Amino acid sequence: MKYALLHILLWLCITHVSAQDFPDPMVPPRLVNDYTQLLSKAEQNRLEEKLQNFNDTTSTQISVATVPSLNGYEANDYAQRLAEKWGVGQQGKNNGILLLVKPKTRTEKGQVAIAVGYGLEGAVPDAIASRIIRNEIIPEFQNDRYYDGINKATNILMKLTSGEYSTDQYGNDEWGEAIFTGIFVVIFLLIILFSRFKSKGKGSGPFIFWGSLGGGLSGGSSSGNRGFGGFRGGSFGGGGASGSW
Amino acid sequence: MKKGYIVLIAIVVVFLCIFFWFKGSYNGMVQMSEKVSEQWSNVENQYQRRLDLIPNLVNTVKGYANHEEKTLTDVVNARAKATQTQINFDNLNEATIKKLNQTQGELSSALSRLMAISESYPDLKANQNFLELQAQLEGTENRIAVERRKFNEVVRTYNADIRKFPRNIVAGMFGFTPKPYFEATSGAENAPKVEF
Repeated sequence: MKYALLHILLWLCITHVSAQDFPDPMVPPRLVNDYTQLLSKAEQNRLEEKLQNFNDTTSTQISVATVPSLNGYEANDYAQRLAEKWGVGQQGKNNGILLLVKPKTRTEKGQVAIAVGYGLEGAVPDAIASRIIRNEIIPEFQNDRYYDGINKATNILMKLTSGEYSTDQYGNDEWGEAIFTGIFVVIFLLIILFSRFKSKGKGSGPFIFWGSLGGGLSGGSSSGNRGFGGFRGGSFGGGGASGSW
Repeated sequence: MKKGYIVLIAIVVVFLCIFFWFKGSYNGMVQMSEKVSEQWSNVENQYQRRLDLIPNLVNTVKGYANHEEKTLTDVVNARAKATQTQINFDNLNEATIKKLNQTQGELSSALSRLMAISESYPDLKANQNFLELQAQLEGTENRIAVERRKFNEVVRTYNADIRKFPRNIVAGMFGFTPKPYFEATSGAENAPKVEF
């Protein structure tokens, strides 16, 4: 009993420590997780909106995270582990990108890394990720223009990845559903017609069907997507690049 | 008469239970063993990627730093050695993985020496081609570290699974053997630093 308790306590300690190394994503889920207040609220919202729109139209998730410390990890390594933990991107497509920033402090260099999901390694090769960091991010960051650097980098990443994936899966699902309901409606109509033929006078039954069908259809079609639905289990293999300033 | 039926049914039920348990554990092990093998090929792919990158890198450095003959030949030799030690998944065991670790480790240190000398050649450091090769090498070192870590995780689950009672009986019957880990002690678990 004593050992069991000790075990549990130890386990709690261990999981607690590793959880501190890598923060949990913010709740409610966002694509811009600024843990260091590097950006103003307005800048965060502008970025968030841009990246959410991109996610809605392409299903590719480009996430931005700032952390106060890398806890002794290499920037590349930290970014990969954090992205894997959060599951940036869609499961199966692995189309996530994490832009990680550890701001400069008085004693430490600033670090930046781009982790590229398995599914996007072709669209954003390491050399390109490195070039984005060297040519777009670092020069802006050196002048304390953090928003500009992140904004430029995400714009390029969006351009590079926009042809890679589409929301085809969702589209297909919706089509499948529409066809399915269509077939259902036809069958119901046939049944109603037949029942009319067989028993004239009992006209009230079919109208109930009509009512319930109408409700079902309108409910199905109005499932718009407002806000960010969260990370969806994308996986990372260590692709990307890093730099410091 | 009736009793006989009950006994028969009981025997059949017990037999079916045992059969399905066997089937379940065997198929589970096959699946997990496949996962380990898949992850192993991921590790090998990344090592191969690094090997493929080296000739280009060596040639680029040669153009700027031809005085560094020894460092360059060290890398070429280490690469040749590493090319020879590739392990088939079926031959994967403690000894072979150790050998692979050693040859790849030698290659890693030869490479980091090469990267260190490039520090003293400003023209080389400014070369676009070299910068991209450097980024690719860093990315590859990273990928190797990640795939090794993932391999260790998969092997850990697999090993735990085939050693647990009573599944270890099935494992023993069908020759599922524990797979070796990559040792973290060599320091290769963390991607070597390619600093400039």
